[in-house]
Parts: sequence; structure tokens; C-alpha cells
Amino acid sequence: MQGFRTRSDKALKWAFIASLSIILLLILVPVFHAIQLSLFQSESFISNKNWVGLANYIRILNDVVFWRSLWVGLVFGLLTIGLQVFLGIIFALFLDRSFPGLPIIRGIVILPYLLPTVVVALAFQWMLDGTLGLLTIWAEQLGFGRPSWFENSYLAMTVVIISSVWTWTPFVTVSFLAALQTIPKSLYESAKVDGAGLWSQFWHVTIPMILPMLMVIILLRSIWMFNKFDIVWLLTKGGPSSATEHLPILAYRRAFLQYDVGGGAAVATLSFLILSVLILIYFYYFPLEDKESSN
Amino acid sequence: MENHKELDVLTMQANEANQDKKIQKFGRREILKSAIAGAALFAGGAPAVHAQQKTIRFLNAEPSRDSVKALRVAAAEYERISKVKVIIDTVIPDDAYNKLQASIAAGTPYDIGTLAFAGHVFILADAGKLVPLNKLVSKHKWGPRILFPINGQNYWYPYDYNFCWMYYRKDLYEQKGLKVPTTWEQMAENAKALTGDGKFGVAQPLGNNAAAQWMSLGYMWADGVKLLDDNFSLVVDNPTNKPKVMAYLDFMKKLSPSMPQGMTQALFGTVLSQYSSGQVAHAPYAGRLMEVIEDKAPDLVAKTGFFMYPDSAGKGQAVNHGYDGWVVLNTPMKDESLKFMEWFTENQYINFLHSAPLHFQPPRLDVYDDARWRAHPLVEKHANLVEFMKSFLTRKDVIIRSVDTEGPRVDLRPAKMFETFAITEALQNVVYNGMPSSEAADIMAKKYRTVL
Repeated sequence: MQGFRTRSDKALKWAFIASLSIILLLILVPVFHAIQLSLFQSESFISNKNWVGLANYIRILNDVVFWRSLWVGLVFGLLTIGLQVFLGIIFALFLDRSFPGLPIIRGIVILPYLLPTVVVALAFQWMLDGTLGLLTIWAEQLGFGRPSWFENSYLAMTVVIISSVWTWTPFVTVSFLAALQTIPKSLYESAKVDGAGLWSQFWHVTIPMILPMLMVIILLRSIWMFNKFDIVWLLTKGGPSSATEHLPILAYRRAFLQYDVGGGAAVATLSFLILSVLILIYFYYFPLEDKESSN
Repeated sequence: MENHKELDVLTMQANEANQDKKIQKFGRREILKSAIAGAALFAGGAPAVHAQQKTIRFLNAEPSRDSVKALRVAAAEYERISKVKVIIDTVIPDDAYNKLQASIAAGTPYDIGTLAFAGHVFILADAGKLVPLNKLVSKHKWGPRILFPINGQNYWYPYDYNFCWMYYRKDLYEQKGLKVPTTWEQMAENAKALTGDGKFGVAQPLGNNAAAQWMSLGYMWADGVKLLDDNFSLVVDNPTNKPKVMAYLDFMKKLSPSMPQGMTQALFGTVLSQYSSGQVAHAPYAGRLMEVIEDKAPDLVAKTGFFMYPDSAGKGQAVNHGYDGWVVLNTPMKDESLKFMEWFTENQYINFLHSAPLHFQPPRLDVYDDARWRAHPLVEKHANLVEFMKSFLTRKDVIIRSVDTEGPRVDLRPAKMFETFAITEALQNVVYNGMPSSEAADIMAKKYRTVL
């Protein structure tokens, strides 16, 4: 850090401090408010609040529903992140090559990410409608009968995962594509000269070069998918029989529907803590390299 | 008289000014001066005028075009006669309570709100946010199980019973030689007989949502099941009720092959469209279904009949309870809000009911005999349906129940039970997961106990 010496540096410093203050305010105030709410028992946001200390946490941690929701969230998060990263890399490798119509294909690939989540959810609901849904009819024509997409626990989870992967894989693809295009072609040429095949080039050149991006993508997608509420709520509302009810939905249900504001806030706070711990573990094992150390 | 004189003088001055205008040409400077003076006058005067006008904010949760129109017309009429402005904001019913709650928490509460859940009335009243409406309510006679008094006070003014019963296709019944079912067995047989060729016998929502709890529990109520006793103790799994619950769950499993796919996703609109498109032969709903087929599928109107949910033995009948009403909030405008409500409920109540003439079932008994209400073409045309609906209020043998109104009085405990969706999960466990009904009933009871 060279310090802020010139006048423009000072302006930059104040702009940085101002931005940081606003961000901290916007993050810390809701977090502290949620933590504060979790220490009270209250039936609504307008009812009298009774101080209960950690009782909400003890109650939630002793509730099998919390652990089931945590498990559902982990399954949903891990599968969606894994599939998004896997498919994202494959699509990025494909789009990194030169072929006719490439700009159009690249444009089409990003489309799902541009759609509002509610549109994606409605589209999937229509395609999977038990009577008129396109996929339902195709499944029947292929001899699978009419699948109970939203009645069967495993199918419902599959639908939620596939719709999430469909929507957010383009983000991963574009990120990896950007990373791929920074890899010098000379590295591949050198590898070829050394007799490396396609797989060897991918494993020994591509992966090491996109590793920093891969780490960031996994981190970002983990945060987003672990907290993902909209697509699950719009598609299944956590059903059937709570099979897709993960922690964000549980927190919402408790706070806004089941007259348990303290319990909902405790679930949200625990979810925040669990995610923070997971991220710290992630950083411990996969530290993001800064510029100086990489040099 | 003094005013008249002043007016005359002002008129004369204005006329003189107009005469002058014809001969005098204003320069640009004069025009600018006048404009600045006018703007200053407006800027200075506008807040004063605004401050003088009283405003009531009304949160409406009936988003249909006709209902919004009825409220807006009433608001305009009230402003005309009282100079009090009534602002109508509209949200979907599911959002009403949260919006009301948010407005209170933000320090800008609505003055009047619409609620569709007794538990929400209870919370707001308990927090001192509502004003009793005893004076308004006591002016009329009301049907049963609708006023939900809290500690002897009436905090809400109901406008709709929102009962749910069954509709069926009379023409298909005739073709197949079926009779209106009086038992679960007959209901299942009829639904089965009407299933085939891409058509289904019955639509019964089974998801974790309000639609399923409103449309699919009537059979259970008809069999006399109670969830809570008079002390708010859970009795759904006692030796009297548990066998009935199990039988109900088994009956729904038997009925399920006659339902279209996707019943866990089915909501209110799903059932309306399934019936009006001819996809299902039975559908549970309130008067809205008849309004919809009058509008979208008029050929079905004459082919549609209705009956209450039957019980297992042909002895009992039930309708599932639902309700909507208005509350007045404890705001600085509460006196004006009460005046507005007094005027509205005396002068515009029927107009508002006419915005959904068959769906908004009047909880006020005087309305049924009011020629103004009966004069609506749909109320006149469907007099038999209206009489059927009225019979829920007058017949002693009709069971009126819902999860959220269980127990001896309004309380948050049944409201919490409603939101657990334990009963719909039991249905899903039995119908889709093949769980024995006894086990599903036990899980349901256990889940209910967590909130009691």
C-alpha cells in the first residue's frame, strides 16, 4: 500500500470510504436486526417482543425440521453448483472454438440468464403441467406414463435443480469463456509440441489457468445457491411434504407464515453462520491467490 | 347574504377586468410577473389546501376489476359529500396482512384494511392496532361463525362468507345414470365413472397451500372430525377422531386416480379453469365458479349442479369455512375511518357485494331479503344457488368448519396449525407416498402439537 498522496488519491480514498460505509450499513444493519429479532419471541413484526435469549436457537437446533432443511439445502446447493460448473466449462470450451455462427450461438447461450426467475418458473410449470405440459406429454409418448413431477419428492427436487442449472449455467459459461480467452495460445502450442493430447492440454494447461476463476465461481455460486429462495418457492413452495424446503424457505415460513418471527430470524442467522463457516473452510483449503503471491 | 354581495362585487370586478383585457395588451414582463405570482401563490397555498383535506388510506385485497371499481366509485362519492379523500390501494389477498403489517412497522399504517384470516385479526387486535367496530356490527343480524369476537369486542366487519362446496356436471350425471352422492363411497364411484378419455372425475388440490385446505377438507368436516376441543387441546388423534381422519385419508387416496395430474400444484385458478374447460366433472368452489362459467363457458351454466361435501355414512354434510372482512386501524384517522365505514356499510355494502354477486356470500342476514341485492341479474338468475348458499346459515345440520377457526373462539393456535400444512402433508403422504393412513395421521398430530 503506497498510501494516498495526491489530491486525486485523497478523493479516491474518501470515495472508497463512503462506498464502504454504505455497503457496511446495508449489510450490517439487516444482519444485526435479524440477530436481534432472533433473541426475542414474537408472533409478528408488530406484536410485543419478549426477550428469550438463545431459546429460539435451542428450539430450532432441536427441531428435526431444521436439520432436514439443512440437508435439503446442501443437496440442492451441491448438485446445482456441481452441474453448473461442469456444464459451464463444457459450454465454454465449445464456445471458445471458432465456427460459423459463433456470435449468434454465444448470444443464445446467455439467454436463460437474462430471463426473470418468475418467467423461468412459469415456463417450467407449464412444460411440466400434469395434463397439458409438453414434457409430460413427451414422457407419456415415450412410454414413461405421466410423471408426477411435483408430487414425487425426488422428481420435485430434480425439477428444482434442473431449472436452477438451466437458468444460471450461462453465467458460469460466460465467466469461464472470459477466462479461457486470456490463456495464451502459445501454451497450447508448446504442450502440443511436447506431445500433449486434448485431455492432457485441458488438464495441464486449461485447468491451471482458469483455476482462480473456477475458485471465484464456485464461491459465488455457493453463496447464491445456498441462499436461493425464488426459484424453489415459485416452483414447489418447499413441497411435496417439505421435500424441497431448504433453510431460506424454512426461515420465510417461520417468520412470515407461521407467526414465529424469532424462530424465522434464528433459522436465517444460523443459515448465515453455517454459510460463513463453509466459506472460511473453503478459503482455508482453496485460498484465492493475490497478485503479489502469484507473481 | 353577505357572501352573495361579495360574489357580486367579485363578478363585477372580473367583468371589468375582462373588458380591460380586450383593449389592454400585456407585455412580456407583466405576463412573467403574473406567472411568478401565480406560481408562488400555488406553491404557498397548495400545502395548506392539502393539509386541510383529510385522507383515509384503504388497503383492499379484492383485486378483481369490478371490486376495485366499486370501491373507487364509493371513495369518490364519499369525497364528494364529505370532502374526505379515500385512497384505495389494492393487493392480492395473500399479501394483505404483510402489507398491513409493513405499513404499521414503517409508521405509516393504513387506516382501513382487508383481512381474510382470523389469526391476523387476532394479532392486530392483541397488539392494540385495531379499533372495535361494535357499534357498526350491532346494527345488523349476522350469520353463524363470522364475527369472531375477541374479548367481547368485534374488531372486523365481514363482507363475505367464502364457503366452499362441490359443483358437478348434471349432464354427465344424466348420461351415466349417476345420483348426487351422499356418501364418500358414492362420491368416489361417481368420480371414477366420469374419468376417462382425457377427462377427470374431480379436482381436489393437495398441495401445501390455502387452496387445498379450503377445497379438500370438507369431506373430513362432514364426518364430524374436530382438531381442537374447547380448551384448545389437540383431539385430532384421540380415539374418536383418529379413525375418522384415517378413513378420510384413505378415501382421498381412493379418489385420487380420478383427479388430474399436478394436484399438489393446483391453486384456486387451476380448479376454475379445469372445470370451465370441461376437464373435470366435479370441482370444489364458492360462487366464483358460477360467475366464471357464466363469463367463460356459458354452455356449462345449465349443466352445473351443486352439493355439500358428504360424509362417509350419508348422515352429515359440510362446507369449508372461509371469510373476508374489513378492519379499522388505530390511527390518527380512526374517527374519520369509522365515519367512512358507517357510511360505506350503509350505502355501498350491496354495491360492493355486487362486484362478485355470487361469490361474495353476504354474512349480514338482512342482505338476503334486500331487494337491491336480489335485483342483481346473476342473483336473480341463480336464485336456487343463492337459496342453497343461504341454507348453510339457516340449517342446523350443516357443519361449517376450517382449520384456522377450530376451537371455541378465535385464537392464534388454530391459525398456526393452518400454516403448518400438516393435514395436506398427511394427504400427500398417503396419496403419493403410499404411507399408511395411521402413520400419516400420527405425523400430522405431532406436527400440530409443535405449534400448540
